[in-house]
Amino acid sequence: MTAGEAGAGAGPSRPGIPGPSEGDLDRTIARLLTRGTYLSIGLMAFGVVLMAATGVSPTDGTAPPFDLGRIPADILALRPTGFLWLGLVTAIATPLARVIASLVGYVRRGERGMALIAAAITAVVAAAVVVGVLAGH
Amino acid sequence: MAIGLMMIAGGFAAGVFGSLLGLGGGILIVPLLTLGFGLPVREAVGVSLVAVIVTSSASASVYLERHAANLRLGMTLELFTAMGALVGGLVAFLLSEQLLAGLFTVLLVVTAVNMARRREAVAPAPANGGSTANGGLSADGGAPAGGPVPSPPPYVIHNYGRGIAGSLLAGLVSALLGVGGGIIKVPVMHLVMGVPLRVATATSNLMIGITASASAIIYLVRGGIDPFVAGPTALGVFLGASLGSRTVHRIDVRVLRLLFIVVLLLTAWQMTGRVLK
Repeated sequence: MTAGEAGAGAGPSRPGIPGPSEGDLDRTIARLLTRGTYLSIGLMAFGVVLMAATGVSPTDGTAPPFDLGRIPADILALRPTGFLWLGLVTAIATPLARVIASLVGYVRRGERGMALIAAAITAVVAAAVVVGVLAGH
Repeated sequence: MAIGLMMIAGGFAAGVFGSLLGLGGGILIVPLLTLGFGLPVREAVGVSLVAVIVTSSASASVYLERHAANLRLGMTLELFTAMGALVGGLVAFLLSEQLLAGLFTVLLVVTAVNMARRREAVAPAPANGGSTANGGLSADGGAPAGGPVPSPPPYVIHNYGRGIAGSLLAGLVSALLGVGGGIIKVPVMHLVMGVPLRVATATSNLMIGITASASAIIYLVRGGIDPFVAGPTALGVFLGASLGSRTVHRIDVRVLRLLFIVVLLLTAWQMTGRVLK
Protein backbone atom coordinates (compact mmCIF):
# COMPACT_ATOMS: atom_id res chain seq x y z
CA MET A 1 0.00 0.00 0.00
CA THR A 2 1.49 3.34 -0.98
CA ALA A 3 0.92 6.79 0.45
CA GLY A 4 -1.98 7.40 -1.90
CA GLU A 5 -3.59 4.17 -0.81
CA ALA A 6 -3.16 4.59 2.91
CA GLY A 7 -6.12 4.11 5.18
CA ALA A 8 -9.06 1.78 5.14
CA GLY A 9 -11.37 2.15 2.17
CA ALA A 10 -8.69 4.05 0.34
CA GLY A 11 -8.68 4.55 -3.36
CA PRO A 12 -9.66 6.99 -6.02
CA SER A 13 -13.22 8.06 -6.70
CA ARG A 14 -15.16 5.45 -8.65
CA PRO A 15 -15.26 6.04 -12.41
CA GLY A 16 -18.43 7.79 -13.50
CA ILE A 17 -19.31 8.96 -9.98
CA PRO A 18 -19.08 12.72 -9.65
CA GLY A 19 -17.45 13.95 -6.48
CA PRO A 20 -14.73 16.21 -5.15
CA SER A 21 -11.14 15.27 -5.92
CA GLU A 22 -8.77 14.41 -3.06
CA GLY A 23 -7.22 17.90 -3.35
CA ASP A 24 -10.65 19.58 -3.37
CA LEU A 25 -11.62 17.72 -0.20
CA ASP A 26 -8.36 18.69 1.52
CA ARG A 27 -8.91 22.35 0.57
CA THR A 28 -12.55 22.35 1.69
CA ILE A 29 -11.61 20.87 5.05
CA ALA A 30 -8.68 23.28 5.41
CA ARG A 31 -11.02 26.25 4.84
CA LEU A 32 -13.51 24.86 7.34
CA LEU A 33 -10.81 24.45 9.99
CA THR A 34 -9.47 27.97 9.38
CA ARG A 35 -12.90 29.58 9.64
CA GLY A 36 -13.86 27.56 12.70
CA THR A 37 -10.60 28.49 14.44
CA TYR A 38 -10.89 32.20 13.71
CA LEU A 39 -14.56 32.24 14.70
CA SER A 40 -13.86 30.53 18.02
CA ILE A 41 -10.86 32.74 18.76
CA GLY A 42 -12.85 35.86 17.82
CA LEU A 43 -15.69 34.88 20.16
CA MET A 44 -13.31 34.09 23.01
CA ALA A 45 -11.37 37.33 22.45
CA PHE A 46 -14.60 39.34 22.67
CA GLY A 47 -15.54 37.40 25.79
CA VAL A 48 -12.17 38.26 27.35
CA VAL A 49 -12.69 41.95 26.49
CA LEU A 50 -16.09 41.80 28.21
CA MET A 51 -14.45 40.10 31.20
CA ALA A 52 -12.08 43.05 31.46
CA ALA A 53 -14.91 45.55 31.00
CA THR A 54 -17.03 43.96 33.73
CA GLY A 55 -14.12 43.36 36.11
CA VAL A 56 -14.32 39.57 36.12
CA SER A 57 -11.18 37.78 37.30
CA PRO A 58 -10.46 34.22 36.07
CA THR A 59 -9.74 32.96 39.56
CA ASP A 60 -12.95 34.31 41.11
CA GLY A 61 -14.57 30.93 40.66
CA THR A 62 -17.76 32.70 39.61
CA ALA A 63 -18.22 31.04 36.23
CA PRO A 64 -21.70 29.57 35.85
CA PRO A 65 -21.93 25.91 34.81
CA PHE A 66 -22.17 25.14 31.10
CA ASP A 67 -25.75 25.51 29.86
CA LEU A 68 -26.23 25.55 26.10
CA GLY A 69 -29.71 27.03 26.45
CA ARG A 70 -28.44 30.10 28.30
CA ILE A 71 -25.90 31.11 25.67
CA PRO A 72 -28.28 33.13 23.41
CA ALA A 73 -29.60 35.13 26.36
CA ASP A 74 -26.09 35.76 27.67
CA ILE A 75 -24.96 36.95 24.25
CA LEU A 76 -27.92 39.30 23.88
CA ALA A 77 -27.16 40.69 27.33
CA LEU A 78 -23.47 41.06 26.36
CA ARG A 79 -22.39 38.86 29.25
CA PRO A 80 -18.84 37.50 28.85
CA THR A 81 -19.92 33.91 29.61
CA GLY A 82 -22.15 33.83 26.50
CA PHE A 83 -19.28 34.64 24.14
CA LEU A 84 -16.76 32.49 26.01
CA TRP A 85 -19.02 29.42 26.06
CA LEU A 86 -19.94 29.88 22.39
CA GLY A 87 -16.24 30.26 21.51
CA LEU A 88 -15.40 27.11 23.46
CA VAL A 89 -18.22 25.13 21.85
CA THR A 90 -17.15 26.38 18.40
CA ALA A 91 -13.54 25.35 19.08
CA ILE A 92 -14.58 21.88 20.24
CA ALA A 93 -17.07 21.46 17.35
CA THR A 94 -14.64 22.53 14.61
CA PRO A 95 -12.79 19.17 14.36
CA LEU A 96 -16.16 17.38 14.33
CA ALA A 97 -17.30 19.63 11.48
CA ARG A 98 -14.15 18.54 9.65
CA VAL A 99 -15.11 14.88 10.09
CA ILE A 100 -18.69 15.53 8.91
CA ALA A 101 -17.36 17.40 5.86
CA SER A 102 -15.10 14.41 5.14
CA LEU A 103 -18.09 12.08 5.52
CA VAL A 104 -20.05 14.07 2.94
CA GLY A 105 -17.04 14.22 0.62
CA TYR A 106 -16.37 10.49 0.80
CA VAL A 107 -20.05 9.65 0.28
CA ARG A 108 -20.08 11.86 -2.82
CA ARG A 109 -16.94 10.11 -4.05
CA GLY A 110 -18.53 6.73 -3.46
CA GLU A 111 -15.86 5.66 -0.97
CA ARG A 112 -17.87 3.58 1.42
CA GLY A 113 -14.92 2.48 3.59
CA MET A 114 -13.77 6.00 4.41
CA ALA A 115 -17.38 7.18 4.76
CA LEU A 116 -17.96 4.44 7.33
CA ILE A 117 -14.87 5.48 9.27
CA ALA A 118 -16.02 9.12 9.28
CA ALA A 119 -19.48 8.02 10.45
CA ALA A 120 -17.93 5.91 13.21
CA ILE A 121 -15.83 8.87 14.43
CA THR A 122 -18.98 11.00 14.52
CA ALA A 123 -20.69 8.25 16.52
CA VAL A 124 -17.81 8.14 19.04
CA VAL A 125 -18.02 11.92 19.54
CA ALA A 126 -21.81 11.67 19.92
CA ALA A 127 -21.25 8.91 22.47
CA ALA A 128 -18.91 11.23 24.36
CA VAL A 129 -21.74 13.77 24.68
CA VAL A 130 -24.21 11.13 25.91
CA VAL A 131 -21.73 9.48 28.27
CA GLY A 132 -20.61 12.87 29.62
CA VAL A 133 -24.18 13.94 30.34
CA LEU A 134 -25.09 10.59 31.92
CA ALA A 135 -21.92 10.50 34.03
CA GLY A 136 -22.58 14.05 35.22
CA HIS A 137 -25.92 13.09 36.77
CA MET B 1 -8.19 41.55 35.29
CA ALA B 2 -4.45 41.46 36.01
CA ILE B 3 -4.73 37.71 36.47
CA GLY B 4 -6.52 37.45 33.12
CA LEU B 5 -3.67 39.31 31.43
CA MET B 6 -1.17 37.05 33.16
CA MET B 7 -3.05 34.03 31.82
CA ILE B 8 -2.97 35.48 28.30
CA ALA B 9 0.76 36.13 28.72
CA GLY B 10 1.36 32.65 30.13
CA GLY B 11 -0.63 31.04 27.31
CA PHE B 12 1.28 33.22 24.83
CA ALA B 13 4.62 32.00 26.21
CA ALA B 14 3.42 28.38 26.13
CA GLY B 15 2.28 28.87 22.53
CA VAL B 16 5.57 30.44 21.42
CA PHE B 17 7.74 27.81 23.13
CA GLY B 18 5.51 24.96 22.01
CA SER B 19 5.60 26.16 18.43
CA LEU B 20 9.37 26.75 18.41
CA LEU B 21 10.10 23.35 19.90
CA GLY B 22 7.54 21.30 18.01
CA LEU B 23 5.21 20.76 20.95
CA GLY B 24 1.59 21.77 21.16
CA GLY B 25 1.76 23.72 24.37
CA GLY B 26 -0.38 21.33 26.41
CA ILE B 27 2.72 20.09 28.23
CA LEU B 28 3.28 23.67 29.42
CA ILE B 29 -0.29 24.82 30.03
CA VAL B 30 -1.15 22.27 32.69
CA PRO B 31 1.88 23.12 34.91
CA LEU B 32 1.32 26.83 34.22
CA LEU B 33 -2.26 26.71 35.45
CA THR B 34 -1.66 24.35 38.37
CA LEU B 35 1.66 25.68 39.68
CA GLY B 36 1.22 29.29 38.54
CA PHE B 37 -2.47 29.92 39.20
CA GLY B 38 -3.34 27.22 41.71
CA LEU B 39 -5.93 25.45 39.57
CA PRO B 40 -6.77 21.79 40.24
CA VAL B 41 -4.97 19.49 37.77
CA ARG B 42 -8.23 18.21 36.28
CA GLU B 43 -9.48 21.73 35.55
CA ALA B 44 -6.11 22.64 34.01
CA VAL B 45 -6.33 19.55 31.81
CA GLY B 46 -9.78 20.62 30.55
CA VAL B 47 -8.50 24.10 29.67
CA SER B 48 -5.39 22.66 28.05
CA LEU B 49 -7.52 20.41 25.83
CA VAL B 50 -9.33 23.48 24.46
CA ALA B 51 -6.03 25.24 23.73
CA VAL B 52 -4.68 22.12 22.05
CA ILE B 53 -7.80 21.89 19.83
CA VAL B 54 -7.46 25.52 18.73
CA THR B 55 -3.78 25.23 17.78
CA SER B 56 -4.33 21.85 16.14
CA SER B 57 -7.20 23.14 13.98
CA ALA B 58 -5.17 26.16 12.90
CA SER B 59 -2.09 24.12 11.98
CA ALA B 60 -4.01 21.18 10.46
CA SER B 61 -5.59 23.53 7.94
CA VAL B 62 -2.12 24.57 6.75
CA TYR B 63 -0.93 20.96 6.56
CA LEU B 64 -3.96 20.00 4.46
CA GLU B 65 -3.49 22.97 2.13
CA ARG B 66 0.11 21.82 1.59
CA HIS B 67 -0.92 18.15 1.29
CA ALA B 68 1.54 17.34 4.08
CA ALA B 69 -0.94 15.29 6.13
CA ASN B 70 -2.41 11.91 5.14
CA LEU B 71 -6.13 12.50 5.72
CA ARG B 72 -7.08 8.86 5.13
CA LEU B 73 -4.54 7.48 7.57
CA GLY B 74 -5.36 10.23 10.07
CA MET B 75 -9.08 9.47 9.98
CA THR B 76 -8.51 5.73 10.25
CA LEU B 77 -6.35 6.12 13.35
CA GLU B 78 -8.30 8.97 14.95
CA LEU B 79 -11.30 6.69 15.24
CA PHE B 80 -9.23 4.85 17.84
CA THR B 81 -7.64 7.93 19.45
CA ALA B 82 -11.19 9.25 19.91
CA MET B 83 -12.23 5.97 21.56
CA GLY B 84 -9.20 6.15 23.87
CA ALA B 85 -10.04 9.78 24.64
CA LEU B 86 -13.62 8.91 25.48
CA VAL B 87 -12.45 6.35 28.02
CA GLY B 88 -9.72 8.70 29.30
CA GLY B 89 -12.22 11.54 29.74
CA LEU B 90 -14.32 9.33 31.99
CA VAL B 91 -11.38 7.84 33.89
CA ALA B 92 -9.94 11.32 34.57
CA PHE B 93 -12.90 12.08 36.84
CA LEU B 94 -12.28 8.91 38.83
CA LEU B 95 -8.60 9.53 39.55
CA SER B 96 -7.29 11.60 42.45
CA GLU B 97 -5.51 14.92 41.92
CA GLN B 98 -2.31 13.37 43.24
CA LEU B 99 -2.41 10.51 40.75
CA LEU B 100 -3.10 12.88 37.84
CA ALA B 101 -0.22 15.10 38.96
CA GLY B 102 1.98 12.01 39.25
CA LEU B 103 1.12 10.87 35.73
CA PHE B 104 1.81 14.37 34.43
CA THR B 105 5.18 14.39 36.16
CA VAL B 106 6.09 11.15 34.41
CA LEU B 107 5.04 12.71 31.08
CA LEU B 108 7.26 15.75 31.75
CA VAL B 109 10.28 13.55 32.44
CA VAL B 110 9.63 11.34 29.40
CA THR B 111 9.31 14.43 27.19
CA ALA B 112 12.55 15.91 28.59
CA VAL B 113 14.43 12.64 28.01
CA ASN B 114 12.94 12.36 24.53
CA MET B 115 14.06 15.90 23.68
CA ALA B 116 17.54 15.29 25.07
CA ARG B 117 17.93 12.17 22.93
CA ARG B 118 16.72 14.03 19.84
CA ARG B 119 19.02 16.99 20.47
CA GLU B 120 22.10 15.41 18.95
CA ALA B 121 20.27 14.50 15.76
CA VAL B 122 18.88 17.97 15.20
CA ALA B 123 20.36 19.96 12.34
CA PRO B 124 20.98 23.70 12.74
CA ALA B 125 17.95 25.81 11.93
CA PRO B 126 18.25 27.25 8.44
CA ALA B 127 18.31 31.00 8.09
CA ASN B 128 16.67 31.06 4.69
CA GLY B 129 13.09 30.70 5.83
CA GLY B 130 12.91 27.09 4.76
CA SER B 131 12.05 24.14 6.88
CA THR B 132 12.90 24.01 10.56
CA ALA B 133 14.89 21.56 12.61
CA ASN B 134 11.89 19.26 12.74
CA GLY B 135 11.05 19.71 9.11
CA GLY B 136 8.85 22.73 9.57
CA LEU B 137 6.28 20.59 11.27
CA SER B 138 5.22 20.61 14.85
CA ALA B 139 4.85 17.31 16.66
CA ASP B 140 2.04 18.01 18.99
CA GLY B 141 -0.48 20.57 17.91
CA GLY B 142 1.82 23.50 17.33
CA ALA B 143 1.56 25.65 14.25
CA PRO B 144 3.59 24.72 11.20
CA ALA B 145 6.41 26.91 10.00
CA GLY B 146 6.18 28.86 6.80
CA GLY B 147 7.61 27.69 3.49
CA PRO B 148 6.79 24.87 1.13
CA VAL B 149 6.76 21.28 2.30
CA PRO B 150 8.37 18.93 -0.23
CA SER B 151 6.42 15.84 -1.29
CA PRO B 152 7.31 12.76 0.76
CA PRO B 153 8.77 9.73 -1.02
CA PRO B 154 6.34 6.86 -1.75
CA TYR B 155 5.85 4.73 1.33
CA VAL B 156 4.12 1.55 2.41
CA ILE B 157 2.01 1.53 5.56
CA HIS B 158 2.11 -1.63 7.64
CA ASN B 159 1.39 -2.84 11.18
CA TYR B 160 -2.10 -1.36 11.39
CA GLY B 161 -2.78 -3.43 14.50
CA ARG B 162 0.05 -1.81 16.44
CA GLY B 163 -0.91 1.55 15.02
CA ILE B 164 -4.43 1.12 16.37
CA ALA B 165 -3.11 0.06 19.80
CA GLY B 166 -0.82 3.10 19.88
CA SER B 167 -3.71 5.34 18.87
CA LEU B 168 -5.90 4.05 21.68
CA LEU B 169 -3.10 4.74 24.16
CA ALA B 170 -2.45 8.20 22.69
CA GLY B 171 -6.14 9.09 23.06
CA LEU B 172 -6.15 7.91 26.67
CA VAL B 173 -3.03 9.92 27.54
CA SER B 174 -4.39 12.99 25.76
CA ALA B 175 -7.64 12.90 27.73
CA LEU B 176 -5.98 12.24 31.07
CA LEU B 177 -3.21 14.82 30.78
CA GLY B 178 -4.52 17.49 28.37
CA VAL B 179 -1.86 17.02 25.71
CA GLY B 180 -2.09 16.22 22.01
CA GLY B 181 -0.58 12.76 22.30
CA GLY B 182 1.93 13.35 19.50
CA ILE B 183 4.65 11.95 21.74
CA ILE B 184 3.06 8.52 21.17
CA LYS B 185 1.43 8.90 17.74
CA VAL B 186 4.43 10.23 15.83
CA PRO B 187 6.85 7.42 16.85
CA VAL B 188 4.16 4.78 16.29
CA MET B 189 3.35 6.04 12.78
CA HIS B 190 6.98 6.66 11.85
CA LEU B 191 8.83 3.75 13.44
CA VAL B 192 6.12 1.08 13.57
CA MET B 193 3.91 1.85 10.56
CA GLY B 194 6.60 3.10 8.18
CA VAL B 195 5.18 6.57 7.60
CA PRO B 196 7.77 9.28 6.78
CA LEU B 197 8.43 11.55 9.76
CA ARG B 198 7.07 14.67 8.07
CA VAL B 199 3.81 12.95 7.14
CA ALA B 200 3.54 11.28 10.57
CA THR B 201 3.99 14.65 12.29
CA ALA B 202 1.44 16.44 10.11
CA THR B 203 -1.04 13.56 10.35
CA SER B 204 -0.66 13.42 14.14
CA ASN B 205 -1.43 17.12 14.24
CA LEU B 206 -4.58 16.61 12.19
CA MET B 207 -5.73 13.84 14.54
CA ILE B 208 -5.30 15.91 17.69
CA GLY B 209 -8.42 17.99 17.06
CA ILE B 210 -10.95 15.17 17.15
CA THR B 211 -9.04 13.30 19.85
CA ALA B 212 -9.06 16.28 22.19
CA SER B 213 -12.65 17.15 21.25
CA ALA B 214 -13.94 13.72 22.30
CA SER B 215 -12.56 14.20 25.82
CA ALA B 216 -13.11 17.99 25.99
CA ILE B 217 -16.85 17.35 25.52
CA ILE B 218 -16.84 15.19 28.64
CA TYR B 219 -14.89 17.83 30.60
CA LEU B 220 -17.31 20.50 29.31
CA VAL B 221 -20.57 18.78 30.23
CA ARG B 222 -19.18 17.61 33.58
CA GLY B 223 -18.15 21.12 34.60
CA GLY B 224 -14.43 20.53 34.12
CA ILE B 225 -13.81 23.67 32.05
CA ASP B 226 -13.94 27.20 33.48
CA PRO B 227 -14.67 29.66 30.63
CA PHE B 228 -12.99 32.52 32.53
CA VAL B 229 -9.74 30.54 32.52
CA ALA B 230 -10.11 28.79 29.15
CA GLY B 231 -10.83 32.00 27.20
CA PRO B 232 -7.69 33.99 28.13
CA THR B 233 -5.45 30.90 28.05
CA ALA B 234 -6.61 29.65 24.64
CA LEU B 235 -6.35 33.16 23.22
CA GLY B 236 -2.79 33.51 24.50
CA VAL B 237 -1.74 30.08 23.21
CA PHE B 238 -3.21 30.79 19.77
CA LEU B 239 -1.42 34.13 19.48
CA GLY B 240 1.84 32.66 20.80
CA ALA B 241 1.73 29.67 18.44
CA SER B 242 1.04 32.02 15.51
CA LEU B 243 4.07 34.13 16.40
CA GLY B 244 6.24 31.07 17.04
CA SER B 245 5.45 29.56 13.65
CA ARG B 246 6.46 32.80 11.94
CA THR B 247 9.77 33.14 13.78
CA VAL B 248 10.88 29.52 14.11
CA HIS B 249 13.07 29.62 11.00
CA ARG B 250 14.97 32.65 12.33
CA ILE B 251 15.89 31.09 15.66
CA ASP B 252 18.51 28.49 16.47
CA VAL B 253 16.38 26.18 18.56
CA ARG B 254 19.30 24.12 19.92
CA VAL B 255 19.96 26.39 22.88
CA LEU B 256 16.22 26.86 23.38
CA ARG B 257 15.76 23.10 23.40
CA LEU B 258 18.42 22.68 26.08
CA LEU B 259 16.82 25.39 28.18
CA PHE B 260 13.46 23.75 27.72
CA ILE B 261 14.76 20.39 28.95
CA VAL B 262 15.88 22.11 32.14
CA VAL B 263 12.48 23.84 32.46
CA LEU B 264 10.65 20.54 31.99
CA LEU B 265 12.73 18.82 34.67
CA LEU B 266 12.29 21.71 37.11
CA THR B 267 8.56 21.67 36.42
CA ALA B 268 8.52 17.92 37.04
CA TRP B 269 10.20 18.57 40.39
CA GLN B 270 7.58 21.19 41.26
CA MET B 271 4.78 18.86 40.21
CA THR B 272 6.19 16.21 42.51
CA GLY B 273 5.18 18.54 45.33
CA ARG B 274 1.59 18.23 44.16
CA VAL B 275 1.88 14.46 44.14
CA LEU B 276 3.15 14.37 47.71
CA LYS B 277 0.58 16.87 49.04
